[in-house]
Amino acid sequence: MNEASAFQPKIIAYVCNWCTYLGADLAGTNRLEYPANVRIIRLPCTGRIDFNLIVKAFERGADAVLVSGCHPGDCHYTAGNYHARRRWILFRQLLETLGIDVNRVHFSWISAAEGKKWQQVITEITEKTQAMGPYTAYREICQEC
Amino acid sequence: MSELLAKKDILRLVEQWLAAGRRVAGPRCVNANAQHRQTDLINYAWLTKADELKLDGFIRPTNSIKDFVFPRHEKLYGYQFKGKQIELVPAELPTAEQIVIGARPCDAAALAILDAVFNWDFKDEFYNRRRELTTVVTVACAKYDDFCFCTSVGDGPCDPRGSDVLLIPMDGDRYEVRCLTEKGKKLLAGATATSSETAKEPEGPPVRFDLDAVGKFLAGGYEQPDWPDLARRCLGCGACAYTCPTCHCFDIVDEGSASGGVRVRNWDACQFTMFTAHASGHNPRGDQAQRQRQRIHHKFQIYPEKFGQLLCTGCGNCSRNCPVEMGVLPVLKTIAAKT
Amino acid sequence: MLDELRQTCRRLLQDGAVQAVIGYGRASPDDPVVPIFVTKPEEVDRLVWDDHCFANLTKYLSRKEVLSLGKLAICVKGCDERALLVLEKESQIDRSQITVIGLACDGVGQPRLPKCESCDVHTPRRADVAIGKATAPDDAAAGKRYAELEEFLKKTPEQRMAYWKAELARCIKCYACRQVCPMCYCRQCIVDKNRPVSISTSATLKGNFAWHINRAFHLAGRCVGCDECTRACPAGIDLRLLNLSMAKAAEDGFGYRPGMDPNAEPIIGAYSQQDHEEFIR
Repeated sequence: MNEASAFQPKIIAYVCNWCTYLGADLAGTNRLEYPANVRIIRLPCTGRIDFNLIVKAFERGADAVLVSGCHPGDCHYTAGNYHARRRWILFRQLLETLGIDVNRVHFSWISAAEGKKWQQVITEITEKTQAMGPYTAYREICQEC
Repeated sequence: MSELLAKKDILRLVEQWLAAGRRVAGPRCVNANAQHRQTDLINYAWLTKADELKLDGFIRPTNSIKDFVFPRHEKLYGYQFKGKQIELVPAELPTAEQIVIGARPCDAAALAILDAVFNWDFKDEFYNRRRELTTVVTVACAKYDDFCFCTSVGDGPCDPRGSDVLLIPMDGDRYEVRCLTEKGKKLLAGATATSSETAKEPEGPPVRFDLDAVGKFLAGGYEQPDWPDLARRCLGCGACAYTCPTCHCFDIVDEGSASGGVRVRNWDACQFTMFTAHASGHNPRGDQAQRQRQRIHHKFQIYPEKFGQLLCTGCGNCSRNCPVEMGVLPVLKTIAAKT
Repeated sequence: MLDELRQTCRRLLQDGAVQAVIGYGRASPDDPVVPIFVTKPEEVDRLVWDDHCFANLTKYLSRKEVLSLGKLAICVKGCDERALLVLEKESQIDRSQITVIGLACDGVGQPRLPKCESCDVHTPRRADVAIGKATAPDDAAAGKRYAELEEFLKKTPEQRMAYWKAELARCIKCYACRQVCPMCYCRQCIVDKNRPVSISTSATLKGNFAWHINRAFHLAGRCVGCDECTRACPAGIDLRLLNLSMAKAAEDGFGYRPGMDPNAEPIIGAYSQQDHEEFIR
């Protein structure tokens, strides 16, 4: 398939500064190739992830969202990722009830040493989202009435 | 001699208007989750088929027809950042005509009242354009409930103010048709049948309070001690203001991003805590008693002094929609009884 | 029951134990039941109790206009009492300063509201004064609790989205849902924040989705299911279903039901290393 004509999804990745961001950096220094569809937004910790950020990503045209941080037990701020995990368990139910496509919302733990995992996760998400097509449902909600 | 129209002919007209691509709104069921209500929610809303229109069998819709001349969200203009320049993109004023059929007299009269404030120190082109494009076909009220008080504020079930056509129900599912304006005559030209029968004008609800007594209380000054007790159960939401046919306050906000956005106006309500919050942090109406007091004064003293009309048509929406069954009626009854 | 209620309140006011009773009343037999504030012993006959006493009066414990009356007594049904417990756990009330009058309730509304069909708190359990005995049993099967939600989740995601688009299109952003909710006590709500704007205040589909997603999530693990928001909504939006969704997530994920157990730790603001999920890779 001609890459240029295939649908290029916009993936927003909210990543924590201490683990996943450094993991992504490691992927870069190791010259690991992965699709350029991901837009990385760096936050201090997944504990800072407001569900509103996920909603806003879809409002602004994202086709998929990834939220990624330190493994449980490794949080730079001790427990931020535990708080985040609890919120995500609840938030996914809300997305299900609303009919928002939970297959487009991804969560992962990627450490600073896991450059390879970053490459794999981003590649997987990009391919999956490419197959799913653009996320028009939420964009329709955002048309001015 | 009068002009008559049968209900089935009205529905046929609506079907024709819709088929011709005209925009028609009227009372209709909205298939709402009807918890706690006896029947489905009825709102003024756009019609897609004539049989959606409900002309009778209920008191009045939950919302008001101000939605069609003063929408809850309206774009004023857009703006784009181009380097250091800002390019303004004017909003396009609507051009499509709209027909509101099945309005209540208390809704139509409100338009006549709102015309004053929207053409006072500034001619609001958005309101005026929509008003010009709207033809209002009102149905006189055959029944009322305990929340209706049109007759207490000089209004009534047959009030013609603001209407282009007034339909008065008769037996046999027929209506006497009174075309009150050129717009009304144009809309129904040739559709009616002449008759020697006329409709009996319906009687409205009994007067619920003495309006003069209300005026005396309000003229007695702003610092009456009664307001904290009167306002105590009010929770400060906007349900009354937003479903009121005459309330018209709005907030202007910019919604955008680093590349540009739109400046819009949204409905606002004087009962919100933040309504009068200043940038300094001071809030002159920081408690509900002050906010309720202001609402009653505005509607029954200040607006009449400025524009010669009450800012209320007695529709009762405020009380029906209030989560604690407040609205203006209980307050007016109480303060009228004090003088 | 009504006599006992009035006697109790008369005694509390006469003794000066409280300065005001928050209860239910009606101006006349034809008028609807509304929240009332009785400050004089001779006025206790204004108090009523029947199956039209819908309001969750615990909201008034966050309203300065009511707190200014002095020491308070409050009438609560079982569902309202759950809100009291959450407020207590969130340090919003000093329970020792409030006299709680628990009213046994067989359900409100004619027909009964949906929440009453699966109620298991017909009798408030932690009141200072308990009035009445409920005849409806407290053992509403837990299986019934989320029946409406489970039915709804049988729809496809596209059908669910279509449902919410239709429901939320009617929202006019009056915030009646927020104002009646005892759990919505923030002095400045996130939707009022405008430097910068976080949640759009516009009553567009985008702004309405943003608001309701926000409110449902801010109530996760806190909403007690009093359904006042659903009753208050002038647009008849099915808020109950959204709140049920979060209640189910809290119970399924953490075995937690807000306002039921004074010893249970609220789930938001806390965490466990054993929190289990299968969607994080």
